[in-house]
Amino acid sequence: MTTVIQTCGLSKQYRRVSALSDCAVTLPEGRISALIGPNGAGKTTLLRLLAGLAKPTAGEMTVLGGVPRQDPAFLAEVGFLAQEIPLYRRFTADDHIGIGAHLNPRWDAAYVRDRLRSLNIPLDRAAGSLSGGQRAQLALALTLAKKPRLLLLDEPVAALDPLARRHFLATLAEAVACGGLTVILSSHLLADLERVADHLILLATARVQLCGDIDALLAEHQILVGPRKATTAIEKTRTVVQAVRTARQTTLLVRGNAPVVDPDWESAEVGLEEMVLAYMSQPSTGQPSTGQPSTGQDGASAISHLTTVGEDQ
Amino acid sequence: MTWLVWRQHRAQFCVGAALLAALAVLLLITGLQMASQYHSAVAACTATHTCANLSSSVFLGSHAVGFLVIMTLGAPVLAGLFWGAPLVAAELETGTNQFAWMQSVTRKRWLAVKAGWLLLAAAVWGGVISALVTWWSGPDNALQLDQFKPGRFDIMGIVPVAYALFAMALGICAGALLRRTLPALAVTLAGFIAVRAAVTLWLRPHYISAVTVTHSVLNGYTPPGSAWQLGQDVVGPHGNLVAAPNGAALYNIPLGYLPASCASPARGAVRIAPSCRAALASFRSVVTYQPGGRYWAFQGIETGIFVLLAAGLLAVAAVVLLRRDA
Repeated sequence: MTTVIQTCGLSKQYRRVSALSDCAVTLPEGRISALIGPNGAGKTTLLRLLAGLAKPTAGEMTVLGGVPRQDPAFLAEVGFLAQEIPLYRRFTADDHIGIGAHLNPRWDAAYVRDRLRSLNIPLDRAAGSLSGGQRAQLALALTLAKKPRLLLLDEPVAALDPLARRHFLATLAEAVACGGLTVILSSHLLADLERVADHLILLATARVQLCGDIDALLAEHQILVGPRKATTAIEKTRTVVQAVRTARQTTLLVRGNAPVVDPDWESAEVGLEEMVLAYMSQPSTGQPSTGQPSTGQDGASAISHLTTVGEDQ
Repeated sequence: MTWLVWRQHRAQFCVGAALLAALAVLLLITGLQMASQYHSAVAACTATHTCANLSSSVFLGSHAVGFLVIMTLGAPVLAGLFWGAPLVAAELETGTNQFAWMQSVTRKRWLAVKAGWLLLAAAVWGGVISALVTWWSGPDNALQLDQFKPGRFDIMGIVPVAYALFAMALGICAGALLRRTLPALAVTLAGFIAVRAAVTLWLRPHYISAVTVTHSVLNGYTPPGSAWQLGQDVVGPHGNLVAAPNGAALYNIPLGYLPASCASPARGAVRIAPSCRAALASFRSVVTYQPGGRYWAFQGIETGIFVLLAAGLLAVAAVVLLRRDA
């Protein structure tokens, strides 16, 4: 299977703030990848770098077989929809369709018109006078009309109502099923993403925490429930992502699916949401398994690489 | 891309065209009146041999239209304010550049086509206004011979085209650097006025070294034709520059430089005492001017300066837009 996106050590620095550091992502063709992370984790930065709207400070990336660049052939293959839903306020949907038709080699004007008609969005009203949801629908339709091979969507469903959201995601899944399309979709709505995404990129504090097919990632993780005791034995073969301790028991979310020998521990499968939340609630020390140095953490929490939630001592 | 430019600017284009049409109608009507007024005045004075002082006895046209024509000094900067400054800034401000730049068009081509068409529009705007004003001022120029003077030089010939190009480039560059429309507007206006004033005051007089004519203060001297007189100094008997009069003076010479006999001219007829006249004869008047024949050379040089400035500003805008992140 061909790889659509491959990045290595990708970093973006804005003055002294690091928006993305040492980002390694691989995305095979035909996937719908969910880009997840807390606010300010670097999701938008990653998408803008991949779209060629911003230049990395360091690192390399290959997108659709080349470096993102100012070249009509490359731009024709990539669709990017920014979070702000940029549209010309005074232009109607028809005007936007006209712009797309004049500026793109492949352009499916009929698709946009059909879609807007089915959504009852007027084609002859200024975009500025449409509702937020209607604008989002228009912008999405315009992005799809370009017939890109890679679609980068920055929180596209945030402005949509639940029904429109479901509708949109179904359209997306359909388009991908037809072949030749790969999607990265950033969103906070895990439930929505779970429905369509088969790939996951999890960013936290400007770093990639997880990247891979969702099924494989879930298979790699497990939940271990056991008595309250030292976890050093477990840590030898696994990475503890999150540890929750109560007076009597310890619940661990671990990476590594080696069978558990110690009969004290019971293992269970992990859900997507559980796994994602566990990674997102880690302190800003980066991936615990790699033992990256602490950034801006006090000494005590830098030494311990376990997250302890609900401690009752 | 051209289609997008047209779609984005057609309203402004229509407003601009309407303004030009209104100005054309007004100047055509008043211009024709002035031309016939001039011809009948020349015919009348030729009959009575009084054409020497025609310029002071005849006033062509009306003050209101004359004022409007002088106001076209500000026409070029309008192009920079209303078309140039928002060209990039408005897109960056509202984020629509992210829409435009994610179509299959490179930023370089986006900027080149947009700036190209609007520079052309600015040139046409400046050119049409200048052509109208130049034609309209024809009789007045023949009468007053002042088309080389600052304020007249700037609204005729080819320089208004260069000013409009410069204003447009300044607006685009300010918009690309500041990324906001309102500050870009302010910088365009201030920058245009500052550069135009600096060039007019400090550079233009020196494009070609001025002609200097020295004569006795007793004989008046006016540079021939439509020359641009830069200055007139009085030099004393010992070659010393005489300070400008700041009180009682005779022939522009303060009385302090002259014998007492000059201080009390004879009553009645303006007669100067012989001793005073002898003293005056040793003073020289030095007139510096740019001959009227250099008018087009000056127009060409000034046009070149502003076109080069415009090119430089556009280069800066291009580098900023292509290098910076969107």
